[in-house]
This record gives sequence, structure tokens and C-alpha cells, in this order.
Amino acid sequence: MLHMIEMVGVSKVYPGGCVALQDINVKIEKGEFVFLVGPTGAGKSTFIKLLFREELPTRGQIFFNGKNITRLRPNEVPYLRRRLGVVFQDFRLLPQKTVYENVAFAMEVVEASPRDIKKRVPRVIEMVGLSHKLNARPHELSGGEQQRVALARALVNNPDVIIADEPTGNLDPDTSWEIMKLLNEINKKGTTLIVATHAKELVDTMRKRVLQLENGRLVRDEERGVYRCEI
Amino acid sequence: MKFRTIRYFFKEAFANLLRNGWMSLASVGAVASALIIFGSFLMISINFDHVAKDVESQVEITAYLKDSVNQLEINQIEYQIKSITGVKEVTFISKEQALEEFKKQVGEELLEGIENPLPHSFRIKVESPQEVADVAYRIQGIAGVEEVKYGKGVVEKLFNITYWMRLLGLAIMAIFAVISVFIISNTIRITVFARRREINIMKYIGATDWFVRWPFLIEGMLLGFAGSLIAMTFLIIGYNYLYDTVKLNIPMISLLPIEEFYDYSLGLLAMGTFLGAFGSGFSIKRFLRV
Ligand SMILES: Nc1ncnc2c1ncn2[C@@H]1O[C@H](COP(=O)(O)OP(=O)(O)OP(=O)(O)O)[C@@H](O)[C@H]1O
Ligand SMILES: [Mg+2]
Repeated sequence: MLHMIEMVGVSKVYPGGCVALQDINVKIEKGEFVFLVGPTGAGKSTFIKLLFREELPTRGQIFFNGKNITRLRPNEVPYLRRRLGVVFQDFRLLPQKTVYENVAFAMEVVEASPRDIKKRVPRVIEMVGLSHKLNARPHELSGGEQQRVALARALVNNPDVIIADEPTGNLDPDTSWEIMKLLNEINKKGTTLIVATHAKELVDTMRKRVLQLENGRLVRDEERGVYRCEI
Repeated sequence: MKFRTIRYFFKEAFANLLRNGWMSLASVGAVASALIIFGSFLMISINFDHVAKDVESQVEITAYLKDSVNQLEINQIEYQIKSITGVKEVTFISKEQALEEFKKQVGEELLEGIENPLPHSFRIKVESPQEVADVAYRIQGIAGVEEVKYGKGVVEKLFNITYWMRLLGLAIMAIFAVISVFIISNTIRITVFARRREINIMKYIGATDWFVRWPFLIEGMLLGFAGSLIAMTFLIIGYNYLYDTVKLNIPMISLLPIEEFYDYSLGLLAMGTFLGAFGSGFSIKRFLRV
């Protein structure tokens, strides 16, 4: 059977010797909603960075739709990234561009038609509730607002998988809920979701699959799980 | 690549030029000053070459014939000279023509009533000035040739000087070409470095290398073009001024007419544009590797 994402014996040791992930074996199927939990420094961001090839694993293989992404040639990497919508923990918005331009840029990169861009971008920005900030630049936005722009950018191309690194990390509880509901809706329409988070209540309420990392090891993989840090 | 993508590249390049206003100006300035220096040496060098060629082309061989030769023998000698490799042009100067020329030089009256003492002769131009000595030696060997003259010694010395002058000109130009590339790519590297994060982000959301690269290349090309246009204007105005000054004050040196320099300045323009593109392409390479 072809899994959407499969990690086989993956370890990551950063230069300098920090072991961020150790012997991770995990399969994620199409349409799943997966929470990635664990204390700070556990390796959640590293897990995510391996998926979109910001980092390469030190050992092990990672497959995306059956294709080994650790063996991609540099010119194939962009096409992998286009199938993933990533919300980065540090947002990574283009500082010179407005909210609208930042989101539109993701479509320009894939050479979408200007007509589609004009139609789609405002809709996605509305989904994340930022229609009133269309022409603001990132430095004029609060942390939570920037995070929502990053989410809109990840959504805009209808990727197969959305990977979000703490998408609610800077949001108040109400807005966090809005965002989670939005992600849940997107997931219901068939998009696979991987969300790293510290938001205990959200995880506990939503009862999705939970992967728990601890010191770089996968210590729990539970369907309809809860946050629960202690083992 | 779709047309709208190309349009996007240009839009992006212009937007970046404006956004990085001061840096853009600095880059244009760097390109302009580097090319002005380079262009000045180019001008000096091609004028060296021009003067050298001018002097060299004035070197010709004169072969004086024996008094005894008849028309048939003259034809034969001409044929033999022409068949020497390296000979470009052979002109026959008869006794009479030689006298006419001589009269023009010294004055008609002085030579009134004197029998023509001048021999028939040939004036020979050679393909390349370096062959003069060799050709002269061969002509000397032809039967019916009395004497061959070509400014022996002086010619060799002249060639020596022009040879070194050319070599020096080339060396200086090469050095300044390298310096120009260095200045330009360094300046552009600063603008690129300031935007390295932006380049990384583009790559992280799935842009291909070329998608990121093109706006930078276009930007570099525009910077290079603007800079070399300024340099060109400076150089042409400067050259015109120099040309007039030299013509007025040192009439025996004839500089290359300005029209000849236009071709070179088009070359400079192409070079500046290319350097701009090359400089920015080179600078962003490092940041694409994510
Ligand atoms: N580029 C890097 N170079 C060296 N060490 C790194 C690098 N990135 C992360 N690490 C280390 O790897 C470990 C895992 O980091 P990671 O960012 O994956 O944690 P995390 O689970 O995302 O934490 P948080 O919840 O705080 O975001 C940490 O000990 C961190 O110091
Ligand atoms: Mg993290």
C-alpha cells in the first residue's frame, strides 16, 4: 500500500552534535489529521523540516507518495514543496510585500493565471480573517496576524498536505479555535494535515491522531489521542 | 515559461530597483566608475595601436633598378617581386616620375637643363610590417636590382617599441577588466545579501532556482546598462574634448576619429550589461542552495 508520508528509521543529528530525531518510523495516510506534540526541543520542527527538505535526515529514508524525497535532485525539490503548504514557526513572510502580495506570491511561483490569483487570494485571506489588512506589510502586523498570513499562503495553492508548525502559537484562545476549525474544515475536504502544537486544550478537544516526541524519540502514536506530556 | 511570468520578472526587477533605491544608485555608480576607468585605458590603448599602425604602415621598401634594364626586364622584375610571399602592393616609379617628384620637393628651377640622374624604382608595401627585412633581403637577390632601402635599424627599433606598447596596453586593460568585475559583483552582492532571507523564503515555498534568479538577473542587467550608459556618455564627451585638444596642439599625432570609438563604446555597453547580470547571478548562487 502506498502511504502519503512514510519515515523509515529516520535520525537527524545537527552539525554540532545535537541529536534532534532518533530512529523515527511513522506512516501518515492521505486525509489524516495528525497532531505533533512534545516539549520544547523535542524535535517537532525538525520533523517538519525533514518533510519539505529544509533539512536532510542523517540516517533513514522519507517517502512522499512512494517517492524517496531524500534522494531528490535539487531541481526536483521545488515541485515537492509545491505539494506541501507549510506554515513556518517563524512565519517567513516577505518583509517587502503586503499581505495580499505575500499570499499572491505563492501563486505566482507556480505560474497561476492573474485571473485565478485575483479571485483566490482575497478569498483565502478572508478565510483567515485578515481582509481588513490586505495592504499592510508584515512589520505592521501583530504576531498572530502574521501567523494567519502564513496560513493563508500555505492554503492558497490547495496543497495535498498542510504542515503547520505551531499555527496557533501566537493567538488568543478564541482565534486559536477559529484557526483550528478552519484547519479541520480543510482536512474534511480531503487535505492531509500535520500540526505541531503546544495547545493542550485544542488537542484534547479535537481527538485526532497524536504523535508525541520526546528528546527526539517517538514515544507515542495514538488515534483519537490527547495531549498528555507525561508517559 | 509563460509570458505573464516574464512580465512578472520585469515587474519584480523594477520594483526591487526602486525598493533598494540607494543600493541601486551605488551599484550604477560602481559600474559607471569602473567602466570609465576601463574605458579610458581602452581609449589610450586603441590610440597607441592606431598611432603604431600609422607609423608602421609608412614603412615601405624601395628597390632601385640598374640603369641598364629594359622594359622587358622591368616587367620580369615586377613579376618576381610580386611572387615573393608577404608582398602586398608593388608600384613602379619610372625615372621620369621620380624626377617629377624630386622637382616638386626641391623646386623646378634648380634642376633646369640637367640630365635625369635618377634610376627606375619599385615601391613595395608588405602585408605585415614585421616582414619588411625579410622581403627586402629577397628583393636584393633579384637580377637587375641595384639597391634596396627600407630604413634598416629604425624599423626594427620602431617595431620593438610598438610591440611593448601594445603589450602594456593589453596588460593594463586586462587588470582593469578584472577590477571592474570585482567592483560590480561586490556591489551587487551587497544588495543580494540584504535580501538573502527573501531568496530563501521563495525557495521554501516552492520557487525554482530560475524563478528566483531571473528578476535578479534582469535587475543586474538594468544596473549594468544604466552604469555603462553613464560611463559611455562621459567617455565620448571626454574623448571629443581630448581629440580636439590634441588636434589643435599636437597636429602630428592623429588620434582615432571619435566615430571609431562608437563601436568600442557599444562593446562597453554590452560588457556593463553582461557584468551586471553576471555579478548578480553569481552573488545569489549561494542563497539558492536551500
Ligand atoms: N539548525 C540547528 N542546528 C543545531 N541544532 C538545532 C538546529 N535546529 C534545531 N536544533 C536542535 O534540535 C533540537 C530539536 O529542535 P526543534 O526545533 O526540532 O524542537 P521543537 O520540538 O520544534 O521545539 P519548540 O517546541 O520549541 O519549537 C533542539 O535541541 C535544538 O536545539
Ligand atoms: Mg519548533
